[in-house]
Amino acid sequence: MPSLHLTNLTKRFSRHTALHELSLTVQDGEIFTLLGPSGCGKSTTLWSIAGLHQPDSGSIAFGDRVVFEHGRVNVEPEHRNCGVVFQSYAIWPHMSVAANVAYPLKLRKMAKAQRERRVREVLDLVELADHARAYPHQLSGGQQQRVALARALAHPPDMLLLDEPFSNLDAKLRDRSRQWLKALQAQVGVTTVFVTHDQDEALSVSDRIAVMSQGRVHQVGTPNEIYEHPADLFVADFVGTANILTAIVTEADGSHALLRIDGLDQPLRVPHTDKRLGTARICIRPENIDIHRSGSAVGPPPDALTGTVENRAYLGDHYRYTVRIGASPVTVTTTRPVDDGELTISLPPADIRVFHEEPASDVLEEAPSNEENQHASVH
Amino acid sequence: MKHRRRLLSTNASHYLLWALALLVIVGPLAPVAAASLWSTPLYDSGGHFTWDNFHALFTDGGWWTAVGNSILFAALNTAASIVVGVACAVFLTRTDIPGRRILTTLLLLPIALPGLVLIVGWAAMWTPAGFASSWLETNTFLSMPVDLYSIPGMAMVGMTVASPTVFLLCRGTMLSIDPALEDAARTLGAGPLRSLLSVSLPLLRPAITNAALLVFALSMEVLGLPLILGYSSKINLISTYLYDHWTNDAQQGLVSAGAVFLLVAVAGLLVLRNRLVGDTARFTTTTGKPTGVRVLKLGWVRWLVSGGLALFLTVSVVVPLAGVVLAAFTSILSPFISPWSVLTLDNFSAVFDNALYTSSIVNSLLIAGVGGALTTLVIAVLSVIAHRSRFRFRGSLQQGMLWPRMMPALVTGMAFFWSFALLDKSGAIRSSLWGIGIAFAVRSLALGYSAFYPALAAIGADLDHAARTSGASWWTAMRTVVFRLVAPAMGASFVLLFVAMLNDAEPAVFLVTDKTPVLGLTMLQLAATSIGGSVAALGVIQMVITLVVLGAGRALLGVRPRA
Repeated sequence: MPSLHLTNLTKRFSRHTALHELSLTVQDGEIFTLLGPSGCGKSTTLWSIAGLHQPDSGSIAFGDRVVFEHGRVNVEPEHRNCGVVFQSYAIWPHMSVAANVAYPLKLRKMAKAQRERRVREVLDLVELADHARAYPHQLSGGQQQRVALARALAHPPDMLLLDEPFSNLDAKLRDRSRQWLKALQAQVGVTTVFVTHDQDEALSVSDRIAVMSQGRVHQVGTPNEIYEHPADLFVADFVGTANILTAIVTEADGSHALLRIDGLDQPLRVPHTDKRLGTARICIRPENIDIHRSGSAVGPPPDALTGTVENRAYLGDHYRYTVRIGASPVTVTTTRPVDDGELTISLPPADIRVFHEEPASDVLEEAPSNEENQHASVH
Repeated sequence: MKHRRRLLSTNASHYLLWALALLVIVGPLAPVAAASLWSTPLYDSGGHFTWDNFHALFTDGGWWTAVGNSILFAALNTAASIVVGVACAVFLTRTDIPGRRILTTLLLLPIALPGLVLIVGWAAMWTPAGFASSWLETNTFLSMPVDLYSIPGMAMVGMTVASPTVFLLCRGTMLSIDPALEDAARTLGAGPLRSLLSVSLPLLRPAITNAALLVFALSMEVLGLPLILGYSSKINLISTYLYDHWTNDAQQGLVSAGAVFLLVAVAGLLVLRNRLVGDTARFTTTTGKPTGVRVLKLGWVRWLVSGGLALFLTVSVVVPLAGVVLAAFTSILSPFISPWSVLTLDNFSAVFDNALYTSSIVNSLLIAGVGGALTTLVIAVLSVIAHRSRFRFRGSLQQGMLWPRMMPALVTGMAFFWSFALLDKSGAIRSSLWGIGIAFAVRSLALGYSAFYPALAAIGADLDHAARTSGASWWTAMRTVVFRLVAPAMGASFVLLFVAMLNDAEPAVFLVTDKTPVLGLTMLQLAATSIGGSVAALGVIQMVITLVVLGAGRALLGVRPRA
């Protein structure tokens, strides 16, 4: 199974640039996910790999085989040997399930007996052997999707490309399908590129994830790295929920930094490798915020703060509360409810991430008012 | 994987087909322009560049009279059609007048029928000596107020055929107007009629502009109507002027110059229309039952309106059609003799005994059947290149297929006449049906394309892409996936092309030879001289074939009338 190398891909449409010098490497046999909001360029990247779009610059290689190099090489889609599963499934309505799956084999002039054997084999793999003679309109969404997958795998592809394959399924089915796909891919061992905007999906299915927005890659890493150590505010906010607060870095020695956070009396000492001082944003996940309940053996730490619960929500398996730190609303989640009108919380330093950047306006709520409320001198 | 060696790469095949298409569609115009600027006919040797033809044209008083008449006719026709068409669109779509279904069917009948049939019917019934006019005068105090042998009279006949077009274009828009817009007016205090007139009617303006330009342009180029109604009173429109000087004077240079003038005028109007209205307007179709359309209740007035419309449609559609049928089945059509006493099938046997008529029918069926099928195929192939490929010039192909509609039919015929004269000295193409067939095919290209393209657009591009990524070349993907899925639309396209090519006349005016008569032109030439039983019989035959094919098309493929 070959690895995939994308180097400096740029793609411009008449009004905007979809990809800005995108470079990625996918290891052979892994499931690599392109994750990002609509319009970030993830589908454009996928179509460029498949040969359905032509980038304006850069190169694409499967292992050592260069399939695209701007100005020199452009292998047609039918010769790239990529198995593609489209978001709409693209099952041909005028052909039966078996005919759909046999199509790539027919094109390669496989002998009839061998072809039928392979179709049966692949339909068994996706658990649709009983529906070989059915027509697409007789199948459910989940079944159609499996036909699309079977067709993509019929002639063993060098690369499997999936474009938001589960977005049309309901939540329960989506979950089951993800687990099933992961097991299948492990069995077949094909290098897979998966496109989605659903971060749960990305986290649960992938070996590695590339978080993208506006044609650029923000971070590439394992699900754990992306979630626990986001590279920037966009990644922090897009993957999971992030509480983003303003802080001032008053000291930084390369291993730790001292932060003053508006609303907290005490400065916090957090692990941080950047030595820059001044205004920064910090981020902490709702589930990482410590809640201190009355009646517990250990009292609250000195840097704890107590605030009024402004909002409470029950989500079945957890509770979500909103309090204020300074002027910023902060979301806290916990599996055990808090019945008082007030909540005592503290921020564990190890879970705080510091970012020296201005976020996009949609990432940070109430950003202007925060600026205004900022005390001019904080010592 | 082994590469299959193909004779032609996909890209090269696209270039080849593109070049051929443009050559056949746009190429023939060059010889027309050349002929207008040359002193001798192009099939003769010698001659030189000259402005004499244009000079002769512009100094001929008859020409300018014809131009003036054409403009007057077009203006009257357009104005009347807009008024009737919009009124019908409003009444038949948005009010509760009784009998809407029947009235709509009657209104749309002229579009489904061959154009000449209705005109023959009008001539038989409503001309001063016609059956219906005479009957009215002798038996009642009423009389036909309009003399059909005048320009206003011709405009009235033209309106019968043009107002359904206006109706279709306006109805499509009316049905797509969000009912919430009028609801908002109602909540603010406007009554139902007021909200209809102040909200929805203004929203029709683009559709009305669209329709007006189309009707005006078509009025400038039409030949059948002025030939049948204008000839006897020596009223010349541009089209009859050209026809006259070609067939009677053989002044080919003069006529070519006139054709260039007509081409520029009509094409200019239609280009303007496209600029103003845009792409989507070209493909207006009638849709199914609308949901959420607010119906205006008219009270007792609705019976009046319904009655008025019924009367109007009776006079303009039912009576002429009845006239054609009567004239076909009687030996003499006169109000002084009861038709029942002179019923006969002699007219039909006269038709079938006459070699000219039978070969006209056979030729037209051949052209419509074989030509229609081939044209459908060509349209399908060119459409997929234009819409489903990455061919560099696919935009020009899309425009190219709509271009023939902007050319007056007469000019299309002349263009092919000169092209064949230049390229085929032996005259082989012209003396076979292929000459006329190609001209008819090019003439109807836009019609077939507009019936086909929406179905093609409805097939998701993912389906082609899935074939490509499964290993199919572009042509294989088109063949195994796209064409299979648009097969019903190709059938619908064929039905419309069959009917159009069966009845077409104008492109054949310059191309027809003794050995290649066609139905539409034979009827036209006959009707120009007299409205007799034979013409009516031919008309009935034309009508029956057309209605049968359209009926089958509608039942099997859902073919519907189009603007």
